[in-house]
Amino acid sequence: MYDTPTLERTVDNSTVKFSARDVHVFYGETEAIKGVDVDILDKTVTAFIGPSGCGKSTFLRCLNRMNDTIDICRVTGKITLDGADIYDKRIDPVQLRAKVGMVFQKPNPFPKSIYDNVAYGPRIHGLARTKADLDVIVEKSLRRAALWTEAKDRLNEPGTGLSGGQQQRLCIARAVATGPEVLLMDEPCSALDPIATAQVEELIDELRQSYSVVIVTHSMQQAARVSQKTAFFHLGDLVEFGETGQIFTNPKDPRTESYITGRIG
Amino acid sequence: MTDLSAQDAPFAGSSGSALVRRRNRKQVIVQGLGLAAISFAALMLFILIASLVSTGYKAFTQTHITVEVFVDPDEVSVEKLPRGGFREVLLASLQKEFPEVTERAELRSLQNIFSNGAQFALRDMVAADHSLVGQTVTLTVPVSDPFDQLAKDLVKRETPEAQRRVNDREIGWFDALDAAGKISQPVNWGLITNADSRFPELAGLKGALVGSFWALLVCFLISFPLGIGAAIYLEEFAPKNRWSDLIEVNINNLAAVPSVVFGLLALAVFIGWFGMPRSAPIVGGMTLALMTMPTIIIATRAALKAVPPSIREAALGVGASKHQVVFGHVLPLAMPGILTGTIIGLAQALGETAPLLLIGMNAFITSAPSSPFDSATALPTQIFIWADSPERGFVSRTSAAILVLLTFLITMNAVAIYLRSKFERKW
Repeated sequence: MYDTPTLERTVDNSTVKFSARDVHVFYGETEAIKGVDVDILDKTVTAFIGPSGCGKSTFLRCLNRMNDTIDICRVTGKITLDGADIYDKRIDPVQLRAKVGMVFQKPNPFPKSIYDNVAYGPRIHGLARTKADLDVIVEKSLRRAALWTEAKDRLNEPGTGLSGGQQQRLCIARAVATGPEVLLMDEPCSALDPIATAQVEELIDELRQSYSVVIVTHSMQQAARVSQKTAFFHLGDLVEFGETGQIFTNPKDPRTESYITGRIG
Repeated sequence: MTDLSAQDAPFAGSSGSALVRRRNRKQVIVQGLGLAAISFAALMLFILIASLVSTGYKAFTQTHITVEVFVDPDEVSVEKLPRGGFREVLLASLQKEFPEVTERAELRSLQNIFSNGAQFALRDMVAADHSLVGQTVTLTVPVSDPFDQLAKDLVKRETPEAQRRVNDREIGWFDALDAAGKISQPVNWGLITNADSRFPELAGLKGALVGSFWALLVCFLISFPLGIGAAIYLEEFAPKNRWSDLIEVNINNLAAVPSVVFGLLALAVFIGWFGMPRSAPIVGGMTLALMTMPTIIIATRAALKAVPPSIREAALGVGASKHQVVFGHVLPLAMPGILTGTIIGLAQALGETAPLLLIGMNAFITSAPSSPFDSATALPTQIFIWADSPERGFVSRTSAAILVLLTFLITMNAVAIYLRSKFERKW
């Protein structure tokens, strides 16, 4: 079941990036997240696993305040990024999202050129003063996303013309271009074929050198392959959070065990 | 293969086959009804176009008469051009052809071969070049309506003379002129280059075309930005509460309000309270904008809704603000849909008659407007005026005007379809 030896991996940084305390999320009257406490470390891949509708995506979207765009959604509790409360009134969610990049389930490049897709974020945040600066950012981001060699000769072609896996890496390049500290990935491989999935997973492992990565996934194998920390969500509760190896080999909670052995979910 | 019994073929059970037969029969009936409905619609369309073309095509040519006119210095003098005896000069040119005609009443009917506009055409020629006085000029002018009808065989020669608009004698003159090669039937450019006239042979659509153009321009300039603005606010920014629901319901209702009501509103408000000019395309355009705006709002909202949420998320995800998402991504992607809706809304406005009648755009105006503030008619109201006119010549002109209006409508809709198919995006 596990094709990489997860046990040998160690979490090599203990700086806390995100810290959530008693987070509740309500959609109207429905409570989707029921009091989650979690610390997400820097330079670490943290996987959120759990059955459909367990709230893992909802919680992920709290971390860059994407839930703000849903009218009926209400978040209580406290989430800090580097010690600062991201739900503080003085925090601009737009600025927050530049620091906390997001990659979505379905590759969603803008219907513009590859170059413009990557350059969009730096442009709106004023990160590049000259065209040359912007060129540098675009190249760096595409290299980060392991797309440079494939895309460098077709920067002016539409991003929507790439293959699914390339599109998803383009979306990663786009997220990386604004210079974020955290990358949130909402099931980034669920729309990709196995080869593209392998490429993206490899990329996630590289991205860990520079970013704190949080990934929501349906695939437990994927969580085991790419993450160092795993959080198991069930019906809006964070059931268990710990080292990936420990969660998969020696879960403490019976619900976790049932899920990873395939009895619930 | 020939020996397929019921047992061998599991799909051919005896009760099943009756069911299948019934189902297939229903399928055939449904398809047949659909085909019949489409055929009926196509037939009606064909009858409409055919009847318009068969009456209207004759208005696309106009019978002209060519005469050698001696601009007699005794009748015409440069000093008093406006009152010059151009009628007499014209008549003299015909008298040369028919020297036997001397009686006053007969001379008058001979004169009637010319359109009433002929004397003005000659006057304008002389006014442009004073040296023509005392010379002979070749003049090609429209013939009057009864002779135009005669030439187009709309007045039948077999009809008893008493019931005919031209008597045998007049027919004789006309045939003599025709035999002399003085009668021609060129394309009737006057239909689009002349403004309205009491005389069918001179009446054209220029005033209506220009009036419709100004009215549509005003309508577009008002309804497009306001409609898009309202739609963007309602769709993207407005809080979803009872007030926005109320506004939405009312906009949908507004789209269904009969246009004559908008005309009354415009009459009361624009003309009554604000004292804006009657019959002016600016008021017409503002009235049409009232009707077009709900259409544009609804089309724009639908186009905005059709932009997939993944694009909004993508833009929000890299830290675009709400207005950057809307104006940088959603609006450009929705533009083809918005333009399509706008063009269809404008096409509707182009064909709208009732509100324009109420604000007086059915006035009799013999010059094309030079600004949206001048009195004018519009295409549909011009059709209305001509359809109401007793002269025979207006019958074919009405059909021709309808064909012109339909041409514009079809062109606009074709542009809308082209835009939609060109920019349609598969997600």
